[in-house]
Amino acid sequence: MMKKNYLLAALLFSVYFTSAQNFLPDVNIKSLSGKTVSFASFANNNDTAIIVSLWATWCIPCILELETISEQYEEKQKETPFKFIAISIDDARTSQRVKPFVRGKGWPFEIYLDTNSDLKRALNINDVPHILIIKKGEIIYQHNGYVAGNEEELFEKLKSN
Amino acid sequence: MKQLYFLSLILIINTIVLGQNNGGVFSGSFDSYNQLYRKDIKIGAILPQDKVGSNNYLKLDYKQKKFSGGVQFEAYLPSVQGFPFIANGNKIANKYFKYTTSNFSLQVGDFYEQFGSGLVFRAWESRQIGINTALEGVNLQVAPFPFLNVKAIYGRQRKNFEYANSNIRAIDAEIDFSKLNMSAKTRTVIGFSFVSRYQQYTGPIQNFPATVNATSTRLDIGGATTSVSLEMVNKKSDPHDANNFDKKNGKTFLANLTFSKNNLGATATFRSLKNMSYRSEREAVGSVGFMNFVPALTKQHDYLITNIYVYNAQRKGEIGGQTDWFYYAPKGSVLGGKYGSNFSLNYASYSGLKNENNIFSFSNDNYFHDLNLEWKKKLNEKLSIILLYQNVFYNRLVIEGEPLPDVKSNAFVINTVYKYAKKKTFRFELQHLSTKQDKGNWAAVLTEFSFAPKFTFYLSDLYNYGVTDIHYPTVGGSYTKSGTRFGLSYGRQRAGLFCVGGVCRFVPASSGFTATLTTTFHK
Repeated sequence: MMKKNYLLAALLFSVYFTSAQNFLPDVNIKSLSGKTVSFASFANNNDTAIIVSLWATWCIPCILELETISEQYEEKQKETPFKFIAISIDDARTSQRVKPFVRGKGWPFEIYLDTNSDLKRALNINDVPHILIIKKGEIIYQHNGYVAGNEEELFEKLKSN
Repeated sequence: MKQLYFLSLILIINTIVLGQNNGGVFSGSFDSYNQLYRKDIKIGAILPQDKVGSNNYLKLDYKQKKFSGGVQFEAYLPSVQGFPFIANGNKIANKYFKYTTSNFSLQVGDFYEQFGSGLVFRAWESRQIGINTALEGVNLQVAPFPFLNVKAIYGRQRKNFEYANSNIRAIDAEIDFSKLNMSAKTRTVIGFSFVSRYQQYTGPIQNFPATVNATSTRLDIGGATTSVSLEMVNKKSDPHDANNFDKKNGKTFLANLTFSKNNLGATATFRSLKNMSYRSEREAVGSVGFMNFVPALTKQHDYLITNIYVYNAQRKGEIGGQTDWFYYAPKGSVLGGKYGSNFSLNYASYSGLKNENNIFSFSNDNYFHDLNLEWKKKLNEKLSIILLYQNVFYNRLVIEGEPLPDVKSNAFVINTVYKYAKKKTFRFELQHLSTKQDKGNWAAVLTEFSFAPKFTFYLSDLYNYGVTDIHYPTVGGSYTKSGTRFGLSYGRQRAGLFCVGGVCRFVPASSGFTATLTTTFHK
């Protein structure tokens, strides 16, 4: 019971802190070259929206979604500029496959690794694929799962925000 | 009940916080997997006394500036069949409080952590396969210089709803040399981990190692087209139930080479190890209590049939490796055609050690191999196709512990996606596996209709027509709206990764109804 009281006190304590602009979790992910990046740093992207896709090399619908967006990437960029980052949740079993896999797809995305699902957990995501639109540090749209045609809704939301 | 009060208190606090609108972020998720079992003599499914299985996870997090905290409430009413542990009850299983700045973080409570690739230490969660090895304790991370990152942890490992009877303390340091020399074109990172577990020993053996230490040294060099990573793990003498009280040290060597240029990517991995069962308790067996992560370095397949003969890394000792080749033939090229085309090849092979003291000695005792080729092509605006071939060798004596003949199999998969309207798709899979051993041949068919972005319906059948003559038919559907997804299915399912309705999940073997609800929320 003592431990719980501490936690409770901590939560109450946290209430007294003032407003913050960044709603993104401060969780580290790694670039394909091994550089550590905080997910919260993606809030500093001014007015340009960021689309974030959580995916895995073993997930067919994830690959389908990324391939579809890759095909339409240039065309959609002309309509509404956006930044696209694809974060693989492959763990150590398959994470060494991510880099060659991505190169072998010719995808124009920034790729990151979340090998112990720290970011997936912090974003409260249950299953992959899961896609988010982030603007000024806030999640303005999200969708779980992918079937062909989902990208229509994604780009509609991107345009209207 | 106390926990429920606690949970509702946190909810109330968060509501107040939100009411004050002072910039904090409240987020959470709910994940519910429910089954209603029916009697099914054919697949030998024993009907449990309670015909219901239900696993539920409610996670709540609150973040304000540098502070964050949260809880995970779990309810097994009771746990679903095929889950690695049987639970009937509910509890706030995880709770944490964390303070984070750009170069410092301190977390108290339950935490997950991984050093390097996890060969020496990994605390992780996978709800679908029933793993949660979070540590309860303290996790301190400091980056005193931009090039140095140090992690120090202390705690006890979660064991279902209890804790393991041991203490784990560990430290990891990583130096990124590219931060010292900004003009360097390659990134060089070295890492060192030290992990120690203490479990009191009261038995009669003199000088019995109550404390077991393990170390790992790793090196990663990454360039524009090529990267190399090496890791070496040493574990001290650790006699315990799962390794039949073998007193010898444990060792692992892992090497990975990656090459990528333009539209070609390739990787080669070599790993050899011996005596790498490293657990929080000497008494733990099976998949319980692992402190380190030794995955089977093989391709994680995503079809029903290609997941029948799956390898398990042999922690007692194994040697082998894997290679992957990926190629994208661009639009307009000979191989690519109008829309481009993808090719991939994967080969993995593992054997026993010839000399159990030498991790670089290959024996003729082959444990497993998997050779697979995949070709993916968009034929026109509406139709795309994936073809897959797989050849497997599976040593049943080693992998399953059954003195039965080795399995040699060949499998083919055709997966077609037909997008007949802007948001409407029909998907059709045909799969076949042939083998003269074990249960003989298998065939599978899956059809799926999807209406983006909300509805999917599917009908599938996996059929063993070699020996048992059993069908595994399933009918199901799902509804998705933003971060919420509801799925319902009825039928027989084999355990494994199942990709339908737009997501991939690991499912247990069962017969009857399955209902899944997952949701995520932010405020």
